[in-house]
Amino acid sequence: MAKYGGWAGKVLRVDLSTGRMSTDDTVEQYKDYLGGTGIGYKVIWDEVQAGTKPFDPENKIVFGVGPLAGTGAPCNGRTAITTLWPTCWPRPLVASGHMGGHFAAELKYAGYDAIIIEGKADHPVWLSVMDGRTEIKDARQLWGQGIRRSTIEINQQMGPEATVAAIGQAGENLVPMSVVMNSYSHSAGGVGGVMGSKNLKAIGVRGTGSVRIAGNKEEWEKAIKLHLSLLGANNQNVVPNSPQPWAEHYNAGSRWMASAGRRWGASDPNIDTGACEPHNLNRIAYRTNNAAFFLGDKAWQYTVRGNGCTACPIRCHTMLKVPAVAAKYGIPEVGQNTCVGLLFGKAFFKTFPDGPRGQTAIEACMVGMHLADDLGIWENYGQLQRDFQALYYNGIFGRKVAEKEFKSYSWDKYEEGDPTFLFELLPKIANKQGELATALGLGTGYLLERWGIPEQEWLENHELLYWKFGHPKHHSNEDAGQCGVIINTQYNRDAQCHSHSNFTRNGLPLEVQKRLAVELWGAPDAVDGVADFTPMNVYKAKMAKWSLLRKELHDCLSLCNWMGPWVASPLRERDYRGEDSIESLLYSLATGDRKSRQELDQVAERIFLLHRALTIRDMGTKEMRTKHDTIPHWVFADPKDRAAFSKGTIRMDRDDIKLAMDMYYEEMAWDKQTGSPTRETYRRLGLETVADELAKRGLLT
Amino acid sequence: MSGEYQKHQVLEKALNFTNSSHSLSRREFLIMTGGIIVAVSALEARGAKEPPLIIVDQAEGLVIADATQCVGCRRCELACTEFNDGKASPTMARIKIGRNLNFGPKGPYAGLRAQGNWGNGLIIQDLCKQCPHPVPCANACPNDAIVVSPSTGARVVDPNKCTGCKMCQRACPWEMMSFDSDTNKATKCFLCEGNPKCVEACPSGALSYVAWRDLTDKVPPRVVPTAVVSPEKAQTCIDCHKK
Repeated sequence: MAKYGGWAGKVLRVDLSTGRMSTDDTVEQYKDYLGGTGIGYKVIWDEVQAGTKPFDPENKIVFGVGPLAGTGAPCNGRTAITTLWPTCWPRPLVASGHMGGHFAAELKYAGYDAIIIEGKADHPVWLSVMDGRTEIKDARQLWGQGIRRSTIEINQQMGPEATVAAIGQAGENLVPMSVVMNSYSHSAGGVGGVMGSKNLKAIGVRGTGSVRIAGNKEEWEKAIKLHLSLLGANNQNVVPNSPQPWAEHYNAGSRWMASAGRRWGASDPNIDTGACEPHNLNRIAYRTNNAAFFLGDKAWQYTVRGNGCTACPIRCHTMLKVPAVAAKYGIPEVGQNTCVGLLFGKAFFKTFPDGPRGQTAIEACMVGMHLADDLGIWENYGQLQRDFQALYYNGIFGRKVAEKEFKSYSWDKYEEGDPTFLFELLPKIANKQGELATALGLGTGYLLERWGIPEQEWLENHELLYWKFGHPKHHSNEDAGQCGVIINTQYNRDAQCHSHSNFTRNGLPLEVQKRLAVELWGAPDAVDGVADFTPMNVYKAKMAKWSLLRKELHDCLSLCNWMGPWVASPLRERDYRGEDSIESLLYSLATGDRKSRQELDQVAERIFLLHRALTIRDMGTKEMRTKHDTIPHWVFADPKDRAAFSKGTIRMDRDDIKLAMDMYYEEMAWDKQTGSPTRETYRRLGLETVADELAKRGLLT
Repeated sequence: MSGEYQKHQVLEKALNFTNSSHSLSRREFLIMTGGIIVAVSALEARGAKEPPLIIVDQAEGLVIADATQCVGCRRCELACTEFNDGKASPTMARIKIGRNLNFGPKGPYAGLRAQGNWGNGLIIQDLCKQCPHPVPCANACPNDAIVVSPSTGARVVDPNKCTGCKMCQRACPWEMMSFDSDTNKATKCFLCEGNPKCVEACPSGALSYVAWRDLTDKVPPRVVPTAVVSPEKAQTCIDCHKK
């Protein structure tokens, strides 16, 4: 029996140039990096030279999962895909995309913790991974097909249980704004084109094996039940969004939508979501309805059910059945997704004839999901749609695109909010047809460069929510003040961190949050009321560090950072406390490698540090503070010119944010001047050889 | 378990059955009494030559499912094997969701009639029916390794007798026999001694543990069974049913 549970034990390596396949021992080679992005960063650091471009055969893609993937630990469905990022502007740097669905679990059951894709096939291929038997298959008959048709075809070959991660036409055509997608609606943005550049249409995975739990099974059962008891709704919102008989608090911003009378109206027969009292663990799946959260009450009548990833009881993907769209648009009645994926089609339009929460908006969502999730187009956390609106309404399309092409679009339909407009636009993006669509497919940074638009304009525009490097903010100052700002400076794409916002937006009253903050970060001042921010203090920096490390930890263990961490709960008898050690408890029991919360956070810090080192190496500078950790101007402005720290504004103060960065670098034990980690920090976290390598390049502070 | 004790149990069950308000049809009565005779005579004969085991008593409960409430998270499959066997292994789970999850029971050739995540959304949960007599998996077992659980009446695999031949897998019309590739033994739903882990684990309340009811003529089979019943067992069928 293997020494450790949790891990499948092997990492599969496939060189598409030569057809050579091999395996690495996960524990021997990657245990210090856990899995997921940890394996991803390690592979890119060790094996991909600085200066490599995303679509070069020398770039590698790492599909990584962790020791908890495929187990019953709640919310373990995410696969981290790490590679050099094609929309990272002005130079590609390392980043990761994360897809939910059933791929992560199936990969583990097939015997692998990760797949490393290298090289480039000389013709379109797909990869079949069946219980340790891997074959490179001819994909010429699939090339040119959408994700749905490709998936079904591969399932016909591999069997209905296989999970297929496929690219659509966008990825094939090397559109940087493209996804890989599995389980119908679960995508990872940015990597579709990288797969396309390798002539890799899809990876089909089927496993009949198991993931061993090293610890005592009764203890494991207890740990799972504890974790389940702490869950809220999506984004770990722990109070309902309307008054409930059992609830002390409610918050209208909560994603805990269930209530008596709110029904899954397209289920046959209907299902009433009911009160969903938090101790009733057989009702967790009814708490969340993200279609109703994002699209309004009308979405209830179209709700078939919640859907989502392996082992996750939250079901943040909502399945909708909208019969009208079949006749009206010639698309299937059923569609599903969550958050920006759900809003893909709707978000292009400024207005709809029946308002933002009417029938047409829902139909635009259905058309958008139908097209984008088949063509495999990425929305870059809504930046694509925000850019589109700005470029159109500011007349930039009209100026940058030839008149004939510009007029070929039905702009009258667009302005009226007619979803049929999407049939004109989206296939063109995926197929790089025309200047307008091709530019949109590049991502914001490269689009602005191509059209000679200064990035400055985007950095100043509050409505665009653009942050840097071609990517938008992701839960920044609007959710967590300085903590959110710090987090948004750290990655090479949108930050994708929810550790902080899942706390500040959990719906609990501020005094309860402050009570919890004392235990978590040392003082109540770590958290403020949203849009009622106070000046920086060291506890906010501690919270920022904790948030980033937990995000990275989740991406390596395969826990969902869109749900975790679980430091608050809906349980009144616990004074709404969650459990800060749930990750280490699950990790220790699953693997048998006992690690305390602090020890596991330290592993996460090592992994996060490697991401930093990779960024420094590939940027070729150690001046991270000024060249990487940048903050857009809109953060320091207010549309009504309210002063920073006045109630109602999310505006930040420049000097205060300077202090925030100082405090953050101090918490990380990085050099304050440059924002670069010191040799001592690399050494402390077991990355001295990384420091040596950076020193050789003159990149060590 | 001693032969005497077993004999007592069989008669006890028969008495309970005949004392219940359930009115027996002629056919049921014949099967019932025939079964008892087979079982009792089989027990009498123990010691000389091991007589074939024929299960006649019914399970006390079974797990039923509402497909409209299933959200496809597979927590039931995971609870089944993690909490009972210490490993996450949907293939080995005694409740089966994964095979219907994507396209429904008709699979990826179902086209417009597809169910599951790629179709109309309906997820069919496949569960053991705890079949009444004749119990296909038990009858197909050449080692009489599928026996009746004393606590729930569930049909369960006795791992000491199972040789891993997989004949039972070929006997179940609903493909509900599982296999543990680590122990090389068959396994099946044993109702967790009356507190099924899958039911407890379902986050949408789609599963229920209820008093046994006969679903064998209500749920369409997935496959045509191809297992062969041994001549010895077949003979007991003849012995009983010709009466």
